Amino acid sequence: MMNLRNASRIGGVVATGAIAALLITGCTREGDGDAGPAEASPGITDTTLSLGISSPLSGPTAGPGSCTVAGLYTYLEAGNAAGGFEFGDGNTRTVELTYLDDVYDPAKAVSNFRQLVDDGIFAYVGALGTPTNAAILPIANEDEIPQVLLVTGATMFSSDQETNPWTFGLLPTYYSEGFAFGELLAERGEVTVAVLSQNDDYGDDYVAGFEAAIEGTDVEVVASATYEPTDPTLDGQVTELAASGADALLSAVSVTPLQVGVLTKAQSLGWLPEIFLPSNTSTPATVVIPGNGAAYPAVYTTSLSKVPVSPTFAEDEDVIAFNEAFAEYGAEIAPTYTPHCAWSYAEGAILEQAFLGMTEPTRDSFMEALHSIEDFQAPLLLDGITVNTTDPTLPAIQGLNLVQFNGTGYGPVQ
Amino acid sequence: MKSLTRLTTNRWVRLAIGVAVAALLIVLPLISSKFVNYQLSLMAVFAVAILGLNIVMGYTGQVSLGQSAFLGLGAYIAAYGVTEGWPIPLIFLLCAVVPAIVGLIIALAAARLRGLALAMVTIALPIIGIPLAKRFREFTGGSQGTTVRWLSAPEWNEGFLENDQWRYYVVVIIAALMFLLARNLVRGRMGRAFRIVKENEAVAISIGISPYRYKVLAFTIASLFGGVAGFLYLGVVQYTSPETMSFHTSINMVAAMVIGGSASILGTIFAAIYFVLVPNLANEINPSLTALFSGAILLAVLFLVPGGVVSLPRRIAQVLRSLRRRGNAPARDAETPQNPSDGALAPTATGPKSTEKNRKRQGQ
Repeated sequence: MMNLRNASRIGGVVATGAIAALLITGCTREGDGDAGPAEASPGITDTTLSLGISSPLSGPTAGPGSCTVAGLYTYLEAGNAAGGFEFGDGNTRTVELTYLDDVYDPAKAVSNFRQLVDDGIFAYVGALGTPTNAAILPIANEDEIPQVLLVTGATMFSSDQETNPWTFGLLPTYYSEGFAFGELLAERGEVTVAVLSQNDDYGDDYVAGFEAAIEGTDVEVVASATYEPTDPTLDGQVTELAASGADALLSAVSVTPLQVGVLTKAQSLGWLPEIFLPSNTSTPATVVIPGNGAAYPAVYTTSLSKVPVSPTFAEDEDVIAFNEAFAEYGAEIAPTYTPHCAWSYAEGAILEQAFLGMTEPTRDSFMEALHSIEDFQAPLLLDGITVNTTDPTLPAIQGLNLVQFNGTGYGPVQ
Repeated sequence: MKSLTRLTTNRWVRLAIGVAVAALLIVLPLISSKFVNYQLSLMAVFAVAILGLNIVMGYTGQVSLGQSAFLGLGAYIAAYGVTEGWPIPLIFLLCAVVPAIVGLIIALAAARLRGLALAMVTIALPIIGIPLAKRFREFTGGSQGTTVRWLSAPEWNEGFLENDQWRYYVVVIIAALMFLLARNLVRGRMGRAFRIVKENEAVAISIGISPYRYKVLAFTIASLFGGVAGFLYLGVVQYTSPETMSFHTSINMVAAMVIGGSASILGTIFAAIYFVLVPNLANEINPSLTALFSGAILLAVLFLVPGGVVSLPRRIAQVLRSLRRRGNAPARDAETPQNPSDGALAPTATGPKSTEKNRKRQGQ
């Protein structure tokens, strides 16, 4: 009796499992969109093109992250409102941008990338972040999806085009920033320099660029120190460097409060060298003015874009257009301005150039067009900084302007 | 409702559910997109990490806010092993053993502390881990991290399983084994000891259980699970960087564990699903406000089911009962005194038995 009941129960169990299995196997995995060779790539029709981006929109990096979306979104939506974008194949298309938040987490960025590809994006553009983009890089290249105009200063995204032909950076690297400082000093003749840098590859890239520029010149590094981003204060390092009495200080510090501390400490010790600040910690309102930068003979930094919030550029045509469009489309995404808003706006214009050169609605044609832009003056970029993409091993924007602090903001080097 | 309870405690029904779930887990990756498979694999990865956390926090009652450091350590060991071309079984072994040893050494000192002091020590792990990972660049790849192409579908399987499907199976099988291990562990002698240490250390000492030794043990096991999760993480994400260790990940895992159900194996699975799905859900609502929506979802779950998602069926039964009682209040008044014991039922491990006892008490 007992056995019989057990047997029928086992039968029930097996039946349930079998039914579940059958139900599921009835469906099959969809094809991965392997269309014929001359067919259009996914994400593009005769009237639309869809792009995707995943950036940190919450968490500690939310400010710059939101701006990488907001600037691009502003440019694209303004273009759509004006009738759409012209393409090299004769069609005019509306460009849609889908954006997702990855909180600067590589695993989440990969997840977002997969989701965007699932949703059928044509290309992945303008994402912020070194680790997040590094995690996506192998997948994008394996699946042959453009991962382009990335907002990061790391060299790895453009340098190895043989392995990663589908990946391409937007901004000048940390290396070129350091190089620009070195060049300026090399023109001066005999100068002694103290170097303070972050103890990681960001700091190393910076110093490597600087050293490459001063090699064989009369510029001499007489003292150097490193720090950890988690250090509470850099007073010790500054005191040590001040003892060298160097003429110039390259302060490659990427943490805003620490950079302010460096500026106040050096002058309290009576050491007043010329100061070189990296572009990401040189904002007048948050770094140079609180650090009383006016006390130093000169404070330099690099810049590549006009500052839409600064009175210096209030009459500039690009800035007026940007401010108008941004208030309408971008302000909701990025409530506070960082330079990334301007950069990603310019990135929209670079994409537009690439669309113009696209003769076929394919990713191959897009990549080819993107790598054929020469001497393009993108909106909001400073005069003299142009976009050149013909050397794929360098990011789209390579030029940098050196600027000097003038008491309220930055002006030309005197 | 009662018949439903009886149904879920019937072992044949349970077996049938188990078989159906297993069938689903086996077939699902074959019909899903790469995105879905990635999500499922990621759930398995974090399920193992949260399972470790649950052993030290849920079962043994010790605060640990450093689980992401062990996850990162495991991922880094795996990444180094892959770039050096070590055999996979060796990498797996190292990913389990090295974090366990590190965890043991830390626990030997930290387990002497209690409550907030212990929490502080564990917070320090990701805080120290990130700059260390950036500094030892030869091993870790610095802040740019290490990218690998690893755990691809083997050649003999050409044309059958794709990479994402192969990775899913490898990860889910290892995760399932880890769950089996954990289940046996918490149901056995050691699990009972953990629970006594959690409830009352004085009682534990009085019956010859050293709280210190068991805390160290729980912490070591949690580190081992963290390390294995790191191995799986590298298999799924194919990349690791200092961000893997971030404190943010740790605190999110703790929140997910509480939401899924503390001191519950099944709750850990809910926790992993929550951990992976909620950011996606928040992204669907509004990508600019994900933090807000994740927070709102967290609060809603804690408010509606304070015992975690795993207590949801019990919670529904409770609400239904009280509704029914309100419906014919005078006739059923006699049952009211028993009500508190329903709410205070211990989680799964003792759940079914107590329910049975209750039924008897109610004369059924």
